[in-house]
Amino acid sequence: MHDPLSYRSQFPIFTHHPDLIYLDNAATTHKPAVVIQAIQTFYEKQNANIHRGVYELGAKATQLYESTRAKTADWLGARMAEEIVFTAGTTAAINLVAHSFLEPKLTAGDNVVISAMEHHANMIPWQQACLRKGAELRVIPVQADGRLDLAQASQLLDNRTKLLALVHISNSIGIINPIEELGEMASKHQIPVLVDGAQSIAYYPIDVQDWNCDFFVCSAHKFFGPTGMGFLYARNEHLQTMSPWQTGGGIVREVDFDQTSFAPPPTRFEAGTPNMAGVAGLNAAIDFVQTLDQTTVSAHLQSLRIYALERLQSIKGVQVLGTASPASGIVSFVMDDVHPHDIASFLGGANIAVRAGHHCTQPLLKYFGLAATTRASFSIYNTKDEVDLLVAQLQQIQAFFS
Amino acid sequence: MNKDVKALYQSVILQHNKAPYHYEKVEQSTHEIAAYNPLCGDKFVLYLTISDHQIASAHFHGYGCAISKASTSILVQQLEGKTPKEAAALIREYLSIVLEGAATDQEEFQAFAVAQQFPGREQCATLSWQALEQELPTIDQDDIHREESNE
Repeated sequence: MHDPLSYRSQFPIFTHHPDLIYLDNAATTHKPAVVIQAIQTFYEKQNANIHRGVYELGAKATQLYESTRAKTADWLGARMAEEIVFTAGTTAAINLVAHSFLEPKLTAGDNVVISAMEHHANMIPWQQACLRKGAELRVIPVQADGRLDLAQASQLLDNRTKLLALVHISNSIGIINPIEELGEMASKHQIPVLVDGAQSIAYYPIDVQDWNCDFFVCSAHKFFGPTGMGFLYARNEHLQTMSPWQTGGGIVREVDFDQTSFAPPPTRFEAGTPNMAGVAGLNAAIDFVQTLDQTTVSAHLQSLRIYALERLQSIKGVQVLGTASPASGIVSFVMDDVHPHDIASFLGGANIAVRAGHHCTQPLLKYFGLAATTRASFSIYNTKDEVDLLVAQLQQIQAFFS
Repeated sequence: MNKDVKALYQSVILQHNKAPYHYEKVEQSTHEIAAYNPLCGDKFVLYLTISDHQIASAHFHGYGCAISKASTSILVQQLEGKTPKEAAALIREYLSIVLEGAATDQEEFQAFAVAQQFPGREQCATLSWQALEQELPTIDQDDIHREESNE
């Protein structure tokens, strides 16, 4: 049985803000003391540039960096550490794939398939590549209950599809997409698959080989790690054929003024001094996530969502977007005649943190005929009581505006 | 419910939100000005009809939070009968109250001045006003050109 309060005490932010009812975890998660400590320890005791120093501190820093790479690979079920490229986050990872993998392969008349519920980060890089190359961006439609239309999906994937890019769990409506099923459809045409795991990796088991996915992207700050840090998992066969995205130091073999030969992956894709403290934080965040029992945690999030849905839908004039299951602990809703911004301000005044806006999914919201929603998103330290407090405030807000 | 937030919304904002002034699209207007905040999706279009060197009528339509809708409603109400230059002066006055804390005894403007104290809400209070301010020089020029071509 998951006990959120026992987790709350591990997160210093709640000591400093004891009245905070934080329901904006899809935007960013809070950090446990162990992660904050790991970053501090790195700067206090372990700081040195990696891959270069032949002194003890440098060697240790390198070891921390590379062992974190191996740990990440293990965590994802990858075959080798070299299939993990550290990046600044999910957006950077996707841009890397768009630039170095997709665009060289894309010709006029090809297509790229995404879903209608993608975050702008997993949509715009592909859209722009298609525009540059005269290729078509195809969109798997979403249905009224929030589920993807799988029948349509199979129609859209064909022999000219160069990539299927898909979100695992929607950051706006919380729907969990059937990655395995869609991956199988893609494999019929040998289409490479990229999965955006930003909202799922904290709570759900990922096995990139089981899923047969070619690329997987995520950000550390969504799973209790630091900002400015994330990674790309990519199958070795792909990385071997990819040219560097950003060039500079740290990725080279031999350099002359007229030409440069590049290092093998993953080093080839990590130009410049990396975010070493970020990797130290990532390392501690992975350790932390691995102490969680994912079965009870995901059950907890799903039960919070079900409870929230029930209570929200009992408020007059409130509608939840995307009520299908399976879904995770993310709930978007609207209230008749009251704009999400006003709702969020009132909730903010009561120390309840939610998000109002389009959540970087403008096309998805347009489908539902909306410009903005209010979004509540839960994590391991959230409780049913907090949902009750949210609902109580919403009832007052509804009364105030009517 | 937090009384500070309640105070922000007050009667002025609630009133104009529920019953906004001239809230409709106008096909025959002489000028359409769009006000858009990409961060929250608030979008209004102001429909102005200039004649006799005055803003003869002003309407608006669109989607936005209570603060932006109410402030736009007050804007169109105050625009009617003003010349472009007078409108520019009005906007300057409003913005100095809302953005710079200038004193005022106009209750309607005061309500929006309070928006400054709330994270992320200042832009709601100034969205349409600033959008129109940017367009007024052009509107003024259009008006002058029309006058010249009529002579």
